[in-house]
Amino acid sequence: MSTAAPPQKAPPPRERSGGRLSDGAFALLLTAPGLALFAAIIFYPLLSALFTGFFRQDLRLPGREFVGLDNFTHWLDGDFLAILEQTLIFTVGATLVPFVIGFALALALNTGLKGSGFLRGLFLFPWVIPGVVVSFLWMWIFNANYGVLNGVLMEAGIIDESVAWLGRPGTAMLAVIVTKAWASFPWMMVMLLAGLQTVPKELHEAASMDGAGSVRRFFAVTWPQVRGVASIVLLLEFIWNFQHFDTIYVLTGGGPAGTTETFATAVYQTAFKGFDIGRATALGGLWMLLLLLLVAVYLRITERKGDA
Amino acid sequence: MTTSGISRRGALRMLGIGALGAAGAGVLGACAPSGAGSPSNGGDPKSKNFDFTSWSLNEEAAKPSIEKIIAAWEKAQKSTIRAVSYPYNEYLSQLTLKLGGGETTGAVHLDIAWLAAMAQMGRLADLGPVAGKGGYTDVALKSGTYDGTQYGLPWNTGSIGVIANAHLLEKAGIQKHPTTVEEFEAALRELKGLGGGVVPYAAATKVAQLKDIFPWMQTFGCKLLDGGKVTIGDDASVDAVTWYKKLHDDKLIAADVDRFDARALFGQGKAAFYDDAIIGKGVTSAQSKDKTLADAMQPMERPVLKAGDTPQALLWGGVIAIVKGKGQDAATEFALHTTTDRATTSEYFAARALPPSTTAGLAAPEVAKDTFTTEWTRKITRTATGSPFWQFAQNAQIEEAVAKQVQAVLVGKSKPKDAMKQAGEEAAALIKR
Amino acid sequence: MTSTTPTPVSAVGRPQPSATRAGRGTRRRVRKDLLRSRIAAWSAVVVIGAFGLLPVYWLLATALSTPESTFQFPPKLIPTDLTLGNFTALAENDQLIKYMINSLIVASITAVLSVIVATYMGYSFSKFRYRGRRSLMHLVLASQMFPQALLLVTLYTVFSSFGMLNTYTALVLSFTTFTMPLCVWMLKGIFDTVPDALLEAASIDGASRWRTLHSIVAPLAAPGMIAAGLFAFVRGWNDFIFALTLADKEKQTLPPGLVSTYIGEFQTAWPQLMAASLVVSVPVIVAFMFLQRYLVGGMTAGSVKS
Repeated sequence: MSTAAPPQKAPPPRERSGGRLSDGAFALLLTAPGLALFAAIIFYPLLSALFTGFFRQDLRLPGREFVGLDNFTHWLDGDFLAILEQTLIFTVGATLVPFVIGFALALALNTGLKGSGFLRGLFLFPWVIPGVVVSFLWMWIFNANYGVLNGVLMEAGIIDESVAWLGRPGTAMLAVIVTKAWASFPWMMVMLLAGLQTVPKELHEAASMDGAGSVRRFFAVTWPQVRGVASIVLLLEFIWNFQHFDTIYVLTGGGPAGTTETFATAVYQTAFKGFDIGRATALGGLWMLLLLLLVAVYLRITERKGDA
Repeated sequence: MTTSGISRRGALRMLGIGALGAAGAGVLGACAPSGAGSPSNGGDPKSKNFDFTSWSLNEEAAKPSIEKIIAAWEKAQKSTIRAVSYPYNEYLSQLTLKLGGGETTGAVHLDIAWLAAMAQMGRLADLGPVAGKGGYTDVALKSGTYDGTQYGLPWNTGSIGVIANAHLLEKAGIQKHPTTVEEFEAALRELKGLGGGVVPYAAATKVAQLKDIFPWMQTFGCKLLDGGKVTIGDDASVDAVTWYKKLHDDKLIAADVDRFDARALFGQGKAAFYDDAIIGKGVTSAQSKDKTLADAMQPMERPVLKAGDTPQALLWGGVIAIVKGKGQDAATEFALHTTTDRATTSEYFAARALPPSTTAGLAAPEVAKDTFTTEWTRKITRTATGSPFWQFAQNAQIEEAVAKQVQAVLVGKSKPKDAMKQAGEEAAALIKR
Repeated sequence: MTSTTPTPVSAVGRPQPSATRAGRGTRRRVRKDLLRSRIAAWSAVVVIGAFGLLPVYWLLATALSTPESTFQFPPKLIPTDLTLGNFTALAENDQLIKYMINSLIVASITAVLSVIVATYMGYSFSKFRYRGRRSLMHLVLASQMFPQALLLVTLYTVFSSFGMLNTYTALVLSFTTFTMPLCVWMLKGIFDTVPDALLEAASIDGASRWRTLHSIVAPLAAPGMIAAGLFAFVRGWNDFIFALTLADKEKQTLPPGLVSTYIGEFQTAWPQLMAASLVVSVPVIVAFMFLQRYLVGGMTAGSVKS
């Protein structure tokens, strides 16, 4: 922009509010309310909590005592790996199961069945019942002694005597995953259906004409189109499940014998049932550390792919 | 949209530092012993208005009768009582947080097992001078004491014991209540023989209520705590758990049972025995289709290892404690009135079948003519004791640590000996903390 | 995250079928295919429908049974002694209505606040390039994974020292801890789909950056904003521990309210709990039936192209 550019000489008068700011400053200004909120209600509580991990502190009593890494070693020598494993099993299970269900349903509804709009609405039901109620409902269904699941299975002759779904190590985790899957498949279905509806019909027809079977058509036409939605849905659900609390807490409380304990329930129970804030936050700290590692690895991978 | 400028980078850095600084300051702030020496939760002790915190205030079954007591008091004293409640399962943690945060004032309903944990926070008033006026029974008074101080006025005092279903026992040809563990087990096997999905003994097998095993450990001779030393892990405790595991494996007790499940099973006529507090009769019979069940429910002395031993039972009940500070005096009067006024306790008994804690209250005709209650008092409450772990703030953790180990045995993840050894060690470590 | 990965997903470059090969035989196959896919679709709907809706049926059946018949085993799949008692009892329960109103208020305000704040942040992340942007973005994303229980203790202390316990503000702010990161992230994805050329055009036309955002970009992103708001609403609607800890009976929301009313020391009132849950969920379900097209439209605007 040299002196010889009369038409652009003066900045347009309307550009008042942001006119003085550079793009970068403007961008920062936009993030300011968000950052302020973040700092106040997420980062500060988080840092403060993490700091507590180095102290022996009782929720009930004032004062605390610096204990260095004691709280951390308590977990590392103890249940850390078990909890990590269980958290991962739950997270992966409770992400994939509803995804598969939701995707199958979305594909089915996308074929233009009669009343699919109504069905779609109906299937939202599990998603909008308050989460704790979902947990109680399934607790009631899974109940070993008067639950409807055992009743049905027994009447069908599949089992001879009541199964303590929530009371056995293997089935308890399964039950928790099924419950969570029930509550989350609806939204995944809606999203995936939305993704599917953007796939042009002609593509399908054309591929079909081309002699592609339905499986091949799925991978050649459908999947590439919904991959974006699918990955978002999976990522979000994974993130949510990673810190999910209600379902496990209500259904099993982390039991039996700690086999469904995840980070979220362990932190809560240690802090609020055991009053041991030091240890609870130390576990939270380890969890955060792990998370940072994951994010760092993720950044490494995506950074390599470009895009600053 | 290009990137440029050191200023921006600088600004960002400043922002980061600012945030960190703020956080740091907060952390330091949190470091300072918040209200360490503060004796009360603030406010005017003479205020006529006060809070009353109780888990029962929200529960459908209990709410009306307690609201009645509150309304009567409000009317007589021209004051307002603010009712506060939390779900039973979250009560202790919520109360802890809120008592510590200065949020809770006035009268607080406590399970006697929680008294120590609360008292140690140093915010409860000494009710010694008032308690003398109440005419409470000795056992009741003791249930409100921690470390020699009267922190709670006993509201209801009872115990947790074994309830038997006379119909089922009869059906299985069992003439009288088994008195020894051996007889008990034999009776369970008879009952199992009835078939039809009968769970002879609906004992607790979920962590939440596995503390029910403590009286059994005591029955087998484990003292739990002996002169400050945890004795879980000794042979007696291992024997008890081995026995429990045997009952479990032989399906004489069922997996995944807590108190609710036990009541449901018993209510369906599918369990011959289960552990419950005295209030269980009303709760269980109310949810049963069999209207004759209430009459078939009998309190039973817990079987003993060898004839002549003292039957074990766990003391159970509720007290009302008072938080120092706002409305303290009025709340104390309210607590005294609620727990000792004869008309009030009788009416409360009629509504909820919770036995009063005063001698006069127990002697009231409405209470005395209830044979279940009198028999319960004679057979179970008479020998009931508090858990030795209640005196520790970590009681809940200790119970849970032991419960988890017992559960590990039940599901086959651990051997009784190892599990009890570990449970003992964990409990000891918790006490030391 | 995914939205930053440049994977152009479009049919361009896919092997295009040539129409010339389409013969009569293939047409017949297409019809057969269609039939087969119909059958597959229906079986999927039936199977998943069973999984998805039988529990709802059971919830309804339980809500209609008397407390005495609740604990029968084996349970009666088709309840015989039906009662509306559990529902009629609700009409007299003022407290429950209060919980519900609280829930609606808190979840709605949370949604609106989160969306507003997230709109600016998301826009900044999407349309500007500056140092620290990526780190911030990932921090926001990761902050959804932070354990609530960990934040809870400090939040309680903070709100307590500001005298904010038992206020809607405390609930809204605490819910924002998990709704805002989600909204930021969703809205960034949506803004990514708004072509830069549009912004440049606006700028050339002399529109200020504020105006561009408010009058040009925001309307385009409106469906996405509604979708993000709906998600935030559901998350707030569902929260249990924050609401339990930070509010008393007067300000408490449904999840802790329902639990403290029906899951007590001596009772688990399944029929009443189910009836209450059903009733309180109905308005939300109805609302979602109407709003789901935004859920669909908004999300696809942002995500499909990512």
